Amino acid sequence: MTFAAAPIPDSPLARRNPTVKLAVLFVVSVALLFVLDPVTPTAIYLLGLSGVLLAGRLPGRTVLRAQLPFWAFAFGVFSVNVLSRPGTVLWQEGLLRVTVEGLTVGAALAARTLAIGILAVGFVLTTDSLRLMTSLHQNARLPARPSYALMAGYRLLQLLPGEWSAIRAAQAVRAPLRGDGTVRAGPSAFGRAAFALLVLAIRRGERMAQSLESRGLGLAPRTVWHPVRLRAADLVFAGAVLGVLGAVIGAAGMLGLLAGPGVLF
Amino acid sequence: MRAPGRVDPLIADVSLQLAAGERMLVVGPSGSGKSSLLQVLTGVIPFSQNLESSGEVHLDGVEVSDQPVVQRSRRLGVVAQDPSAAICLARVDEEVALPLENHGVAPGQISGRIDEALARSDASALRERVTGSLSGGEVQRVALAAALAARPAVLLLDEPTSMLDPAGVRAVRRAVDALADEGRTAVLLVEHRLDEIAGADGARGLPERTVALDAQGRVLASGPTEQVLSEHAGTLHDGGCWLPLDSELLAITGHPGGLDSPAVRAWLREQSGAVAGAGVADPVVFEWAPGARHGDGRSDAAVRDRGADRAGWPHEGPQGTDVLLSARSLIVGRPAPGARAARGFARRRRAPVVEPVLRDVDLELRAGEVVALLGANGSGKSTLLLTLAGLLPAGGGSVTGPRPSMVFQNPELQFLAHRVRDEIAVGLTGGPDRIDEIVDRQLRRHRLEHVADREPHRLSGGEKRRLSLAAMLAHDDRPVLLADEPAFGLDRRDTVATAAAFRREAAAGRGVLFSGHDLRFVATVADRVIVLADGAVAADGPTLPVLQDAHVLRRAGLELPPLIAWLLAEVEAGAEIDAEAEAEAEAEPEPEPEAEVALPGTVRVLRALYAAGSTSPRADTADDPGARKAHQTAPAAPPPASTPSPRRSEALR
Repeated sequence: MTFAAAPIPDSPLARRNPTVKLAVLFVVSVALLFVLDPVTPTAIYLLGLSGVLLAGRLPGRTVLRAQLPFWAFAFGVFSVNVLSRPGTVLWQEGLLRVTVEGLTVGAALAARTLAIGILAVGFVLTTDSLRLMTSLHQNARLPARPSYALMAGYRLLQLLPGEWSAIRAAQAVRAPLRGDGTVRAGPSAFGRAAFALLVLAIRRGERMAQSLESRGLGLAPRTVWHPVRLRAADLVFAGAVLGVLGAVIGAAGMLGLLAGPGVLF
Repeated sequence: MRAPGRVDPLIADVSLQLAAGERMLVVGPSGSGKSSLLQVLTGVIPFSQNLESSGEVHLDGVEVSDQPVVQRSRRLGVVAQDPSAAICLARVDEEVALPLENHGVAPGQISGRIDEALARSDASALRERVTGSLSGGEVQRVALAAALAARPAVLLLDEPTSMLDPAGVRAVRRAVDALADEGRTAVLLVEHRLDEIAGADGARGLPERTVALDAQGRVLASGPTEQVLSEHAGTLHDGGCWLPLDSELLAITGHPGGLDSPAVRAWLREQSGAVAGAGVADPVVFEWAPGARHGDGRSDAAVRDRGADRAGWPHEGPQGTDVLLSARSLIVGRPAPGARAARGFARRRRAPVVEPVLRDVDLELRAGEVVALLGANGSGKSTLLLTLAGLLPAGGGSVTGPRPSMVFQNPELQFLAHRVRDEIAVGLTGGPDRIDEIVDRQLRRHRLEHVADREPHRLSGGEKRRLSLAAMLAHDDRPVLLADEPAFGLDRRDTVATAAAFRREAAAGRGVLFSGHDLRFVATVADRVIVLADGAVAADGPTLPVLQDAHVLRRAGLELPPLIAWLLAEVEAGAEIDAEAEAEAEAEPEPEPEAEVALPGTVRVLRALYAAGSTSPRADTADDPGARKAHQTAPAAPPPASTPSPRRSEALR
């Protein structure tokens, strides 16, 4: 998965204030922590997916690919719960046992993972890192030094996939070959490559920090070239998303579908 | 300044003073503390690095010795050595805006100041670009613009041109000159590529003052550039510094005046063998040897020990026609986004998706030959090498040949072990005795014995490059060596060592293909050049004829250094008279591989220059050509004002 190293394409979602988007993402995530039925988070996920696709004007492929880790994690959470949660036994075969509680809780946790995942993906794919940091600096009063340090770190992360393939290539050249002509690449080669990447990242991070300092990051007073303002549309956006969240939870509650953390015990 | 726990200081007793509008050059062999000196000025030492230091730094009339880096940045602009680490933001204009924002420039003025800074570093066209898509040379220009943006009182430049093509070097020089002319900014420049930054003006094109450091980090000389370079040319040359051509020729021949001087011209002609009866031996295998040449060294045990001094010129040897690696209608490119990276050497993927950089590449690499790959920044040299190495999937066509070896531009990527000795042993097969034997041989050949137990990442830049080459060449079963920019950023000593290693491997029957910018290096070692331009192979042929083709050079954005231009014009033109004789010599089958074979005069001169140590820096002692030659062919006593003896004995080993 590669996050946009290129400029963020313009879209209604991309134009929103990054701090507001981050706050909305945070509120929705916290609210979902208290929802433990499968239906509500699934509804949020589907609404979130369509919202990200439409308001973010993102290609479906990109969004789906970005979600892959969340799908993998959701599947893991689901299978662990299905196979290990005690309760009414639905099916049993030797040591394997599936319970009704396991299915419900597993599905709920998986759907929550996906719902938070799609919103996070929507945030990352529509937010320019510099605007985010400027906005956090201005709107959320985060000091300049940590914000730019974060951003430099973010750029370092973007470079890592390239560095990784370069390291693997450089090491493959000297690695012994298997009988079929492919490179023998065991876990130890992987570990050594990871160590090389770590060393490289630390050294580069150190140089980046020096470079930021030598450009005067941390001097006061500082100015901002392109200030990020809080507009009415941002408040409308926040209100709309939180309204939809409230409506879904409310409707689930009225239909008797909503369940809280109580089901865990 | 000293490192904790070490007795010898890294730099000691260095004092310098720079007035507004003045330019100063810092020269010294690698490891002499040039970068450390700049770090002391910026405050990185002692504030960010754990080194003991004492002394005072004054900036713009203010004592700043106890101010951290950020405070000093009010008056300092810095271009660091590794430009890719200097870029932190996503877009070029944001990157240049950052120092302006930090210095509190009013938002309304920022855009204009960005334009001004970019224009000064000849990077105006890059303003809207995404920083991740910039080439190394472009990154360096942006880093320079970011350093200029805040209009610093003092500008510190640490090798700002290492990745630039000739146009980029001129831009840096213009920017520095413009600052000096305004008279507000002082510029301190650390640079290896003196010859290129000096341009056609020789030493007059360099900053007007120079501080030379010796290997111990002490001031060797300080003063007007021309004076320092002429008085200490020999010492600096033997210490392994690159000097501007005039000074280098002064160090070697003992005559001032560079290419315009009749005495220097006579020396060069003599080296080329154009003078009848000069009897200059072909320096096929040459070695860094300040003050001494082992022209008679074939019987010397140390030379034989190198194992590869069979002086066969490529097209003469029995294996001369063996094609080791060949590519047919190859399409070369980076994998398209979304395509997975190729796994390892085996090319099993049927139709990989690549965005083509080069099309229809046909090339062959034969045993015993050294081939250079030339082309402007971004012309696809590295991508082609990676594809030939089987590390990137080909978009079409085929590569045939045994598994090649490759050394990368950034040697750190290759390091796998925690000790230099173990690093060389990585991937070697055979019994422990055999591996130890190979490792010892490689340590010896590549001058790494003194660091055999050190951690690879802690070596100096030149040592890292030597280690990556030594580790790769340890694989005797790989007949092909691919090298990406092997001469980049090396001082004179390591450049010569790399050139010697290439020729040695070729003489032992390997084929070497390397990419590069430095045409002098190329002309010195390469038998053949392949020029890339406009997404295809623009030329492929013997080195000197291709370099004489002005049209090809222009297409590839290459410029001949003055020395090469002069040699091509003088020596090769002169050689045409003897062409018949030479053709005869070439046609004759050589009875013995060690017999003298016809080497183009230009190459002879270039190799002689690489191998030559300095004669005495004073012109009067070396006026008699006979005496000079005796000095070169016999391992004569070193000139008095020369490098310390440990280096010398190491080099001759």
